[in-house]
Formats: sequence, C-alpha cells, structure tokens
Amino acid sequence: MNEHTTPDTGAVETPDGACPAITRRRFIAALGASVATVAVGGYGISVWGKNPTATTVAPTGVLQAATTAPTVGSLGSATGRTLVVVEMGGGNDGLNTVVPFASGRYHDLRGDLAIDEPLDLDGEIGLHPALTFLADRYDAGDVAIVEGIGYPDPDLSHFASMATWWSGLPGSVGATGWLGRYLDGTVGSEDPLAGVTIGPGPTPALLGERSFQVSVQDMSGLAPAVPGWIDDTDELMAMWQGFAPGDFDGAVLLDLVRAAIGITVDAANELNAKLDGAPADDPTPAGRRRRSDLGTSMEVAAALVTAPGPPAVVYVHGWGDFDTHEGQADRHQGMMETLNEALGDFFDAVEAAAVQDRVIVMTTSEFGRRPAFNGSGTDHGTANAHFLVGAPVAGGRYGETPSLVDLDRRGNMIHTVDYRSVFASVLTGWFGADAETIFGADLETLPLLG
Amino acid sequence: MSYSERERISHVARRIGFGVEPAIVKALSVDEAIAMALDLSVPTPPPDPVAPADMDEARSPEQREAPYRYWFAQLVDGPRRIEERLTWFWHDHFATGIQKVKVPYLMFVQHATIRKLATGSFAELLHAIAVDPAMLIYLDGVQNAAGRINENFGREVMELFTLGRGNYTEDDVVAASRAFSGWVVPRAGPRAERRGLTPWAATFVPFRHDDGTKTFLGVTGELDASDAIDIILDQPATATFVSAKLYRELVGVPPDPTTNERIAAVFRRDWSIMALVEEIVADPGFVSDDAIRTKVRTPLERAAGIAQVFGAGSPAAGRSIFQALRAVRFVPFAPPNVAGFPKGERLLGPYRLVHGFDLAAALPREVPDLSADELAARFGIFDLGADSRTVIDAATDPFVRAALTVNAPEYFVT
Repeated sequence: MNEHTTPDTGAVETPDGACPAITRRRFIAALGASVATVAVGGYGISVWGKNPTATTVAPTGVLQAATTAPTVGSLGSATGRTLVVVEMGGGNDGLNTVVPFASGRYHDLRGDLAIDEPLDLDGEIGLHPALTFLADRYDAGDVAIVEGIGYPDPDLSHFASMATWWSGLPGSVGATGWLGRYLDGTVGSEDPLAGVTIGPGPTPALLGERSFQVSVQDMSGLAPAVPGWIDDTDELMAMWQGFAPGDFDGAVLLDLVRAAIGITVDAANELNAKLDGAPADDPTPAGRRRRSDLGTSMEVAAALVTAPGPPAVVYVHGWGDFDTHEGQADRHQGMMETLNEALGDFFDAVEAAAVQDRVIVMTTSEFGRRPAFNGSGTDHGTANAHFLVGAPVAGGRYGETPSLVDLDRRGNMIHTVDYRSVFASVLTGWFGADAETIFGADLETLPLLG
Repeated sequence: MSYSERERISHVARRIGFGVEPAIVKALSVDEAIAMALDLSVPTPPPDPVAPADMDEARSPEQREAPYRYWFAQLVDGPRRIEERLTWFWHDHFATGIQKVKVPYLMFVQHATIRKLATGSFAELLHAIAVDPAMLIYLDGVQNAAGRINENFGREVMELFTLGRGNYTEDDVVAASRAFSGWVVPRAGPRAERRGLTPWAATFVPFRHDDGTKTFLGVTGELDASDAIDIILDQPATATFVSAKLYRELVGVPPDPTTNERIAAVFRRDWSIMALVEEIVADPGFVSDDAIRTKVRTPLERAAGIAQVFGAGSPAAGRSIFQALRAVRFVPFAPPNVAGFPKGERLLGPYRLVHGFDLAAALPREVPDLSADELAARFGIFDLGADSRTVIDAATDPFVRAALTVNAPEYFVT
C-alpha cells in the first residue's frame, strides 16, 4: 500500500506546500455549469452529473425527465449512518435464494433445480443452504426479507431493468440515480466521500446533479501502480492535479476531464487516508488473493464504515454473474457461499468496531428469474426477494410471496411490492429523508427499520 | 473555438485509426489523412489460431497469450488502420468474453472471423456471428435446444446487435430463440472423436432444433437461424441502429435523424461496411468543430498510442500494458458484459482516471528529454492548453514529463 500523509481534512496541498489552489466546491460548481450544457460524445451514462444526451447502452431507450435535483439540505444533513448496497449483477434467482419450499408448485416448476432442503425459517420459506449467516441473523431479528419486489409492465432486458432500478423511475432511463438525488439533497458537493462505489466504474444509482461519487476496487485505494523509479506517488498526483486550474469553459469535454482530475485527487487523498488507517487481517498479497471478489469489496466497505466520518452510501456495483441461463446449480451455489461469507466477515468487522447501530446492508438485482427450469438454468424473470440486514433492521418477512400459479403470459411472477417502496422505506426509515422528493411519487413504505 | 488543420488531421488519425497514428498525423491535408486511414491496399498478416488438442492445451499460456499478442501488434502497427478501428468496433458490438468462453482458441477464431468481415458485408458478419462458436458459448446457444429454449442470444441479438429496443416484442424473443436452437460446439477429446464431430466447430444437431412453425417479426414458417437473421436484416431498424452506432464511434456524437436515415439507406443497399464508413467520413460533420474532442479515449486507445510513439517491442512493455488494461477492466476479449466495454464518461470515474498512470510503465525508462510541446506533438496533440504545458514543463524528470503528457486532459479526449 502506498504511503499517504495527507490528513483527511480535505485540504489540498500543492507541491510546494502552499495554500490550496483550488477548492473542491469550485470544481463541483464548474461541473454543475458544464454538465448542464455540454453535449458529451460518449454514449455512456453521465458520471459527473446530469447529461442531456445520456441514454442507456441501448441508444433508442426513452429518455424521460427525472425529477429535478433536490436543493442541498432540503433532505436533511449527514446522519452518520451508512447504507451499503450489494447489487447482484445479471438478475439473482430469488426463488432459489428465499425458497418457497412448502409450495408443491415450486418443485414442479423448478424440477431438478429445486432446493429441497433450504434453511427453514418458518415452515413456508427457507434460505438457500449456503446462507447460514443470514439464517442465524434472521432468527436474531436482524434480517428483513421483502418478497415480491418488482415494477409494473416488467422489462426483461438487463439494461432497461437496471436503468429502472438505478434511476428509481420505472420505465424511464432517468438522468440521475435515486441515491444520487438523496446525496444532492443532503451534502451536495460538500463531501466527496458521501457516496462510494466499489467497482472499476461508478454506479448510475449514485449519479447526482451536484454530488460526487468515488469509485474504488480494493484496499489499495485510489493510487496508480507506477514504475518503481517514481518514488513519490503523492507528489505525482499533486503535479497531476495542476491540470485542473479551476477555470472551466462550460461546454467542453476537455474541461470535464480537467475538473474530474482535480476532484479525483482530492477524493483520493481523503479515501486513502481512511483505508490506511483501517486494520487489515491479512494484508499480504496471498491474503488478498484468498478473498473472494465480494469479500474484497466488503473489506473496503468495512474499512469505510468503521472510520470516522463514514460515507452515507457504499454501493457494491454489479457483483457476480447471476445471469444463470445455464449451469445454474453450481454457479448459484458458489455465489451464495460468497455472499454468506462476505456478509459474515463484514458484520464481524462492524461489530468489532462497535458501529453496528449505524450500518445496514441491502441487496438489489435488476430482476429475478423465471420459475420454470430451462433444462440448465433459468431465463429472465420479474418479481424478486431481497434482504435488509443489520442491528437497526426490524427483522421479519415483508411484502407478499408472489403466486406461482397466477403467472403472467411469459410464465413470470407478478410483483406484489413496488421496488421504489423498498427504496423509500430505507430512505425515510434510515435517513429520515422525504422520499416523495426523490421519486416524485407518494409511495407506500414498509416498517423495515421499525 | 476553431481547430487548426493540423488538429483536424490528428482527429482523423485518432478516429479512423487507433491510438495516435504518427504516420497519419504527418499527412499534409485532411483528405490525405482520410485516404491513408482508409487504405486497404496492404493485407494484414493473417491471424493463425492453432486448434488445441484438448482442454489442458486449450488453457496453456501459449494459447492464452496468442490472440492478445496478435491483436495488440496489429492495433499498434497493422497496415490497415480502418480494419483496426472496425475490428475493435465489432468486437465491442458483438461483445463476447473469454471469462465465460474459457477457450482462448475460440476467441481467436472469432477474432479472425470479425477481422475478415470487418471491412466487408455486415449481412455476412451477422450470419457468421449467429453461429460463431465463441458466441454460441457466450450467450448460451449451446444450451438452446427444442423443449428447453434458452433466450439469452435471441434477446441480445435484437436488443444490442441489430434492432435496438422498442422494435421487437417478448414473443419475438421466444420465436427467435426457437429458430436459433440446435447448435453445439464439441470440445476436442475422445467424446468428439467417437461421435465423429469436428472439435471446436459450430455444429448443427437436427434433433436439438425446434423445427416447429414460428412467427418472428411478422414472418411465419419453420424458421431456422439463417432465416431469423435474414428477417432481422429485412427490418429497417437494423440499418438505422447499426449505422447510428458506427457514426457515433467515428464522429463522436449521434447523427441527427436526417443524417441517420441517409447513412442507413447507403448501408442497407448491400450491407457494405466500407460504403457506410465512406459515407460517414465524407459528411462535413466528421471533421467539424462539433466532432473534434468530443469522445473519451479508451484505455486501449491510450495504450496503443503510447506503443506507437515510444515502441512496445519489449516483452516487459507488453506485460505492463496488459496489467494496466487489466487494472481498469479494459482487456480485449474480456468485455465486462454483453453490452461491451464502458464508454464516454464512464471512463472518467476516479478509479479509472487514477489508474491511467499505470500505463506509464509502458514508457521506456530512458525517455528522450523533451519539452511539453515536443511531447505533445509526438502524441499528435496540437492544442495543448497553457496550463497543461506549465504542469508538464515544471517536472524536471523527462520520464515524469512523458507520464504527465499521457495523463493530460488532452490525451484523455479524442
């Protein structure tokens, strides 16, 4: 790991140690000005803010106006609490995660893929046999299971459905993400570490109009791997920050990059200081290799939530390959084992630091999978079950188990809970935020946090 | 602002070619640069995938490295620059990942197919991809059989490869999937030998094919894979969707509807990919101020550019480039998912920006002692900002100056 000497005060030091030449706020102000007008050539989703030309990866997707960004402070201030989102990429099979094993219909539809002996929770449903940690915590009252989550007129495209989940706006691509709008309405641009994505790229769910998100992969933080003869990475990063002078022409992609370099160095300094201070159980390269992909991500999450001034949101972006059209039995088993172990290790770290009262974990995925076995796996489905885990969670079952008899014409389950209701329940119950501002709709909430 | 002729020439080099293109940057006019970049007169050294005898050999280091080595060498200095641009474009478009295919040889075979047809007929390319062994594995075609229809390829071929969303129904997904059923890819080994099957070849197994009547995009019949592809090609949306994507690849911004219709009509005429390319680069929009500096350069383009300017002959440099690309998850043959590689602003997240410096390891230790302006010129940058010049020239170590140049805003954007 690199040596980082910059304290986590957010101050930027220039190479000669003079006063900060540029402040974070000026970068963000410049970003806000530029992204509103720039016609950026890339066809990705805007990383930095609202981009009028942004579409999903399917360029013909309908672009609808998102709700306008809430003003800073309008949704409250920083709470010191953290929501960790674990996004299962590709569409997790909810039916083999939260198993309705008492249903004969389940066994008929699933055939050889059916799980006969799940971890029985109440005689009706059970968890995948690998999810021992979650079953124990469910018994202790720390796990909420919400069944039947979906949205009307479900789209079976990965990319359209992911966009729906990220934006929190069904049937819409949306220019911002639901969590980005929450950060817009709380800390805005004040805290570059309020939203952290774990993964190589940022998540559209945390995309705000003025808030910023850091993306990081592992405990090495945000530092380049440079040749050995560059002996001072911090100095190199400080020189690099000179490319961001603070004066930006609002309509130029080059200026977006300049601004991005400026704020990235600021954020890297703060983030690295936090990760450097975290205890590592086995920091050797061999120790790191032994960790699973999610295990590595959750190790970063644990370091961030146990450090002073934790992020409001840590988002594990697109973990796993849950698109199990084929070979599902083995592949899903492996990912459930990984999930169980990573969550167990994460909560061990959280409890060792005695911060269990300010951390919750939520799972998401773009859709569930079809009840009928396709002979090797399962095709794209709809309604799904998800977890909310943590000491503050009011454990138990929520929502309604979808029918396995009254399926839609494609053989998929009909959802019983609007996915935005789950998001709204977390935003109001955990952060005390006004969900109506974030979703532009008055949604039913579930008492997931008591 | 208005760009100089030199900057327009660099733009042509970067967009039609791949990386920096030092030879094209020296062209005397935009027209000359376009002609050089589109030149197909010299053939590319052919790829030579060697079929492995069994699965152990399939995963040997030689097999794993061969496709990557071949491709990167061509990206850096293959004789047909437009072929490099298009081969990359089609790999990203028909995204197929080694993570799931697992047999590098099959990725190499797909690469050879794409390269051969990249500058040819889109109709032929699409037909080939539909029964390409790596694609059959990647999107579960090999699992797709009568009575156990798998919708993975049937959906993505329409959503991502041809029509785009909104131009087909869920019933069409099912009908297409049935039409595509019945193909397998036998692995080399005693089992294939016993059955007399050609290892690694896409093989049609009649009893696995759903030969019932299907209605697909309004056409009813006992449709098979080839019929389904023909029906997709008959849809006007295919030419519109694909031509718009290639326009965006080359020009950097989406075409307006009129332009899109015009280029789609040219494309649809006989599916000539080069006719489409020529139509796009002849559009005044291609070298206009609205096109220049509107695209985020990919890590692979940045890497190829460094290799073009400073050479990537040493194995150490090659390894450094591979590691740097792996750090930012931008390795050829390994797209993150079927939608292809991240593009645009998604490449500007903090993690990928910081790890842009990993590519410094591909620079030679003894970099010539050059000023910011001299370095920028080598990289085809003729619009270096005053602030960037100050930052680069402030570094005393020539190596650091070069590392900063390839991490300057002007090198992150094309």
